[in-house]
Amino acid sequence: MRLSRALRDPFLVVAYLVLVAFLGLFVVYPLARAALTPRPSDWAKLLSSPRWIAAMEHTLAMTVLSTVTATAMGYAYAYGVTKGRVPGARLFSLVPFLYLVSPPFVGGLAFTLLLGRKGIVTHGLLGLDVSIYGWGGLWLAQTLSFFPISFIICRSALANLGGALETAARGMGAGRFRVFRTVSLPLTAPAIAQAALFCALSVMSDFGNPMLIGGRYRVLATEVYTQLSGWADAGMSAAAGLILLAPALVVFALQRAATGAGERYATVGSRGRGIGRDDDVSPPARLALAAFCGIVAVFVLAQFAVIAYGALTRIWSVDGTFTLAHLGAASKYGREIKDSLAFPALAASLCAAASLASAFLVQRCRAPLAPVIDLATILPAAIPHTLVGLAFAISFNGKPLDLAGSGAILVVAMAVSYLPFGYRAVMAALAQVKPSIDDAAAALGASRSRALFDVILPIVRGAVAAAFVFAFIVGTGTMSAVIFLVSFKTPLASVTILNLAEMGSWSDAAALASILCVLAFAGLAAVRLLAGRRFFQAAFR
Amino acid sequence: MSPESTVPASGGAGVHVALRDIVKSFRGVPAVRDFSLEVARGSFTTILGLSGCGKTTVLRIVAGFLDPDSGSVTVSGRDQADVPPDRRGIGMVFQDYALFPHMSVLENVAYGLKTRGVRSAERQRIVAEALESLGLGELGARYPHELSGGQQQRVALGRALVLRPEVLLMDEPLSNLDAKLRVRVREELKAIQTGLGITTIYVTHDQEEAFALSDLIAVMDGGKLLQLGDPATIYRSPRDGFVADFVGSANFLPAAAEARGAGSVATRTAAGTVWLRAPEGSPTGPGRAMARPEWFSLSGPSPTAGPSDGSLAVPAVVEGGEFHGARIRYRLRSEAFDEPIVVDEAVDVRSAARPKGARVLATLPAGTGWWIPG
Repeated sequence: MRLSRALRDPFLVVAYLVLVAFLGLFVVYPLARAALTPRPSDWAKLLSSPRWIAAMEHTLAMTVLSTVTATAMGYAYAYGVTKGRVPGARLFSLVPFLYLVSPPFVGGLAFTLLLGRKGIVTHGLLGLDVSIYGWGGLWLAQTLSFFPISFIICRSALANLGGALETAARGMGAGRFRVFRTVSLPLTAPAIAQAALFCALSVMSDFGNPMLIGGRYRVLATEVYTQLSGWADAGMSAAAGLILLAPALVVFALQRAATGAGERYATVGSRGRGIGRDDDVSPPARLALAAFCGIVAVFVLAQFAVIAYGALTRIWSVDGTFTLAHLGAASKYGREIKDSLAFPALAASLCAAASLASAFLVQRCRAPLAPVIDLATILPAAIPHTLVGLAFAISFNGKPLDLAGSGAILVVAMAVSYLPFGYRAVMAALAQVKPSIDDAAAALGASRSRALFDVILPIVRGAVAAAFVFAFIVGTGTMSAVIFLVSFKTPLASVTILNLAEMGSWSDAAALASILCVLAFAGLAAVRLLAGRRFFQAAFR
Repeated sequence: MSPESTVPASGGAGVHVALRDIVKSFRGVPAVRDFSLEVARGSFTTILGLSGCGKTTVLRIVAGFLDPDSGSVTVSGRDQADVPPDRRGIGMVFQDYALFPHMSVLENVAYGLKTRGVRSAERQRIVAEALESLGLGELGARYPHELSGGQQQRVALGRALVLRPEVLLMDEPLSNLDAKLRVRVREELKAIQTGLGITTIYVTHDQEEAFALSDLIAVMDGGKLLQLGDPATIYRSPRDGFVADFVGSANFLPAAAEARGAGSVATRTAAGTVWLRAPEGSPTGPGRAMARPEWFSLSGPSPTAGPSDGSLAVPAVVEGGEFHGARIRYRLRSEAFDEPIVVDEAVDVRSAARPKGARVLATLPAGTGWWIPG
């Protein structure tokens, strides 16, 4: 085979080899190791024991239920802020983003504080002695947790619809609801499908919510953890993770196929603006949409409020006196906070660099094995993060590479987990750069690597920076990717919060969570400043 | 590599860029087939063709952005197969200009000098000079998005020219400009090219542009070179019906060649016999008489029979006319031919258009029309 044109550049050859080695060692190898870990007896046990069958049924039921509600909720919310033009649409648009970037335990923790046995609403206001632990609470938590993803995807599709088509349909005599049913809805159907698949993947592999509020309603994602941490049974744990991977891969494949359909529709719908834009929904429907958006927003914001309240009052649900003591006490977790910033920062740098290298080599250089690199880079999106962590724990615990208990293993696990998001965003930004720009640089005497740093990188720097910040934000809060990998030498704030919550130290957990939330919001502001809101649309393609 | 080192020792006229038997396909779909072309030093050669005919692919192969499947590109006799695009010493102007959006005009124009290691002071001097000569002196600090289309176009040209490339490639550089500006920039372009004596290969789908600029035109279709010639030859003596039709308006009258002269044939048409110019050695038999609209002359109807001097006189009726300023283009219906005949008549300020339904005689003088066999 003739040497690829791009790889006549020595720097790119090195970058290419490093990237291939990285993907091989940290994506393909751990997955393969994990796949080979279960013994046949593990599989047999998995498919026969009632406990496992129940976990599978629960996962399936929860995925279906939550996907339907989260997708519908995201669509309705998106419809409200776009076509529905509810008052304060801009503020309403911000709420899902806040929730999306907040650490995943915010939902679980806040739910407990609001609706738990000692919850403000259940216990405080209603005087009930009920529990949200179980499938109902989990369903609600999953719906709220993942509606922002549906919102981002659907909002982008609805906004792209312009309005010309709806106006045309109205002009042909169709009523408002008929227009919605026959024009808006079918044209945004690919986005809805896309959103549903994304939600399904997320719900299926979510670890934080089932851990905090699933109670005895066990799902596969938590069983993977319980097997390893409780019984030290790597074989069963890996088997459960792999069972989870199978439907995830199917959903992932469907999702990639659906993207094509979405783009076909987008080219039809994206042209032109309507003239009667305020007229898309009737006044009563607009009122209903506004009420809906309001309730959702209040629900989300209440979660942040209750965590802040918990952090600033003396004893949760007993003594509501204002105090800074817990925030002060959080300083004894300085080590955890420092690690929770340093490791994700390193991981985010690695993630941004790998995203850029992979996107540039795949999209601009026609590098050898480009489709394989593309797949390996995007593949972690289909792998439940718990399984990533598990695979790392199994693979790098001895020869040939022993990283157990080190900070490096956390950094790499985070980087691999968030690689697909950064990669998608950089790919989308690169797609906007005309190929003639590369050619022009070459015609002016710049080698490929020189063109990358002089020309391409400055143009897509927003996406690369956003890939960094996104990985940093998510890494700061993550539990699923790191739960198997933390050690006493590398404590992380997120895991500490989980432990504090399990011990009932609600106030300290809330204080630590508040600090992480503030960091995450600062990160969100940075993303929007660096890359605008399109980053999120690109990352969830 | 300094710009000077790319100037070949031989110099002077002769073949500068040669493409031999270039073949290129994309995923099995042929884009360029057996394309050969020799471009003389200092000449302006245009590759003319419809979109998708392979002309841009040829240009990208010359620039080194694409490798041909087979065939060779030589510049000053040196084979370019293993020379990467950044070492070819070729300047290129792109259809969308491809200015770097994050660099100012100054930085854009200086970029090529920088990659070649030209020192800062020297660079500044060259760039300032170039901007001045292109009338962009004031705009150095602006960014591409702050410039008009015409200004962007000039920056793109300046950016390529400061490197004093051996060969300048241009891919539809005027197509993003409005009609009036296009003509003005076209003239500037030609003046700069002639002044610098730079070997230029230009790609366009616009025949008027090709005629105005080129020493030689290569007409392409379906990945193949159909005809290579100077503008007048391409216009007056097209190789076939496609070229004739593509580079201007043409009437095609069914005819049969009966006798051959030196560079001419006598053909019989439904309206009588006519002498046409013809390629050497073209066979007798059926074919078409090609006549540009302005090759006819119009007169009032003549009562006498047809001329016997080898001209073709077609009695016809005016079906419609379009006013084009300097001339009027008539559509004429004749009894002899199925297709209407299109004829241009020059007009002055006092001429009135011939009314619809008027009877006229359209005359194609002997030795004017062009014989297209087959």
